[in-house]
Amino acid sequence: MDILFDVLRTAIAPSTAAFALAAIGLNFHFGLTGLLNMGQAGFMLLGMYGFAISIQQGWPIWLAVIVGLVAAALFALLLGWPTLKLRGDYLAIVTIAAAEMVRFLGRSQSLKDLTGASSGIRGSDYKAPFEELSPFPDSIVEIGPFSMHGSRSSSWWLTLVTWALVFVCAGLFWRLANSPWGRVLKGVREDEDAVRSLGKNVYSYKMQALIIGGVIGALGGITWSLGNSVQPDSMGRPTTFWLWTLLLLGGAATVFGPLLGSILFWSSLTLVKSLASAFIPSDVLAPTELEPFSLVLVGVTLMLLVVFRPQGVLGNKKELAF
Amino acid sequence: MLATLDRRALLRAALVFLIAAVGITAVLTMGGAAEAATAETEAVTTTASSGGTNLLIQNLFNGIVFGLLLALASVGLSLIYGTTGLSNFAHGEMVTFGAMITYFLATPQEVSFPLLPFSFSVNWPFWLAAPVGIAIATGFGWIQDKIIWSQLRRRRVAMVQQMIVSIGLSLALVNFIQWWMGGRPVRLVTSIDPRNQYGPISVGNVTLISMAIAIAAILGVAFFLQRTRLGRATRAVSDNPALASASGIKVNSIIRIVWMMAAGLAALGGILLALYQQGIGFDDGTKLLMMMFAAVTLGGLGHPYGALVGSLIIGIVAEVSTVWLPPDLKFATALGILIIVLLVRPQGILGKPERVG
Repeated sequence: MDILFDVLRTAIAPSTAAFALAAIGLNFHFGLTGLLNMGQAGFMLLGMYGFAISIQQGWPIWLAVIVGLVAAALFALLLGWPTLKLRGDYLAIVTIAAAEMVRFLGRSQSLKDLTGASSGIRGSDYKAPFEELSPFPDSIVEIGPFSMHGSRSSSWWLTLVTWALVFVCAGLFWRLANSPWGRVLKGVREDEDAVRSLGKNVYSYKMQALIIGGVIGALGGITWSLGNSVQPDSMGRPTTFWLWTLLLLGGAATVFGPLLGSILFWSSLTLVKSLASAFIPSDVLAPTELEPFSLVLVGVTLMLLVVFRPQGVLGNKKELAF
Repeated sequence: MLATLDRRALLRAALVFLIAAVGITAVLTMGGAAEAATAETEAVTTTASSGGTNLLIQNLFNGIVFGLLLALASVGLSLIYGTTGLSNFAHGEMVTFGAMITYFLATPQEVSFPLLPFSFSVNWPFWLAAPVGIAIATGFGWIQDKIIWSQLRRRRVAMVQQMIVSIGLSLALVNFIQWWMGGRPVRLVTSIDPRNQYGPISVGNVTLISMAIAIAAILGVAFFLQRTRLGRATRAVSDNPALASASGIKVNSIIRIVWMMAAGLAALGGILLALYQQGIGFDDGTKLLMMMFAAVTLGGLGHPYGALVGSLIIGIVAEVSTVWLPPDLKFATALGILIIVLLVRPQGILGKPERVG
């Protein structure tokens, strides 16, 4: 019973919503346009840094959010400008390299006073303005089996805000994907040359998709940092790979795919971990080995998914970039 | 060569580089209070560079060593890309795997398999453990191609899907290695390598032997590709698989051999790297993957000698940049070079222009 509640708690947790947000961004890139962005974690990290550093400078919260989003938009511009004309796998290599560069710069000792180097920025240094906006009481609130703090860190307040953002962005995706603009993007995904021959500027459309997806990714990063802390190494390559796994699990190019994917991904991870710790004796699988063990399963899941069911749970096989 | 360069691409690359440089400098100066830290690093550099050019020469030498080891690891990546078109994201784990298997066989400490509750100690001498480790890694390359990649090729799974499969494999393998060997770096040999001074260069004996082995292995690969029938067939497949198949070359068995060679060379690279760095962690190969991609792309994706040229350049740039830049940014510098190269000459130094998308 406890395991069930653990799983449910993970399913509604703010970090699950934050990953759903970042996956919606990735859905704009890959699902809609067919861009192989392997650096979504870099966008998230930039959003987090922009937000946290602005607040540390004493700027108001709305400005800090804008700084985080603008940083991601500029990153997308800088990244897309030269690479969107190259073949797909080049974009993959460049985005992954650029995301790693952001991480290396963030954890570099020479930027210690700004980014806190490898230890990152502590949550208490930037969370206060957001927590002060909370309408909920400043204490533990229990609703049914769920008990969370009203406004601090991973709180009811953060849960409400992030899931609201997820639904707003999913709505945005639905609206844009069904607009004339979205149909052009789908055309780019299916056959770039055909769209070009219709007189559309493919490059500019790809750029717009890259920026929108990156900005939503940064939003995911900001909400994630509000529940945790800004830590460059938590946004490394594995994070991007998890995003890909959960997007493909839920179904790329669908409105609710990223949502469902994120919920399924994190709750099954919790389920596997709790079941393993409950039923496998610790001399066979020590508690420290649980994390790598469950991530091995994630990797295998990703492989099997891509080969046997690339459209995921909700997707349509015709709507895939590959 | 310059005639083939698109002037607009060049301009674009220069601009991106400029913006990035301005951005980084702005951020650096914005952290006003960062001066203390900078002063500290400056102090370190001034004391270290008391020899002046000596530091440069030492770093250049370190760069060549690192470049050679990188070349061993990335030759396979390049060959696989050349023959199959796959950007194999799981190649970094092959490097770690080779070193870890050798550790498993050589260490006097108790080792065990995951999920099996008993532990034992193999404790072979290093000279025996290393070749056996490479052999096991080669076998792993064979198994990988047998049960994964050849199946995907047969099912005609798209390249992008295969790339994501390799990402999944990388995630699974790196965590499997962590699960198996633990999170801490392990040392293949416990003895301390004494450093000797040759003119301005200080180097350990083990490093010299590693360099010799690396050079020998690279020459061996070159000989194989240039002089043997199988090597010629490999180059033919790399050039044009359909035509190679039509002229009677068994493309699939060539690819199988390439996978085995790639895995074996990566394992050798991993073992030498573990000796050079005096230890290897479960994610060292994964960290190295980006450097390998940088090297291979720089030299020309799929071009067998491109990996060598690219690796040496990346190795030297990464090490020499530490003379001026903080050492924790050396990988970032190498990645920056990768991005600039992709902007200016996406096919790489030795690549053919038609590979550009």
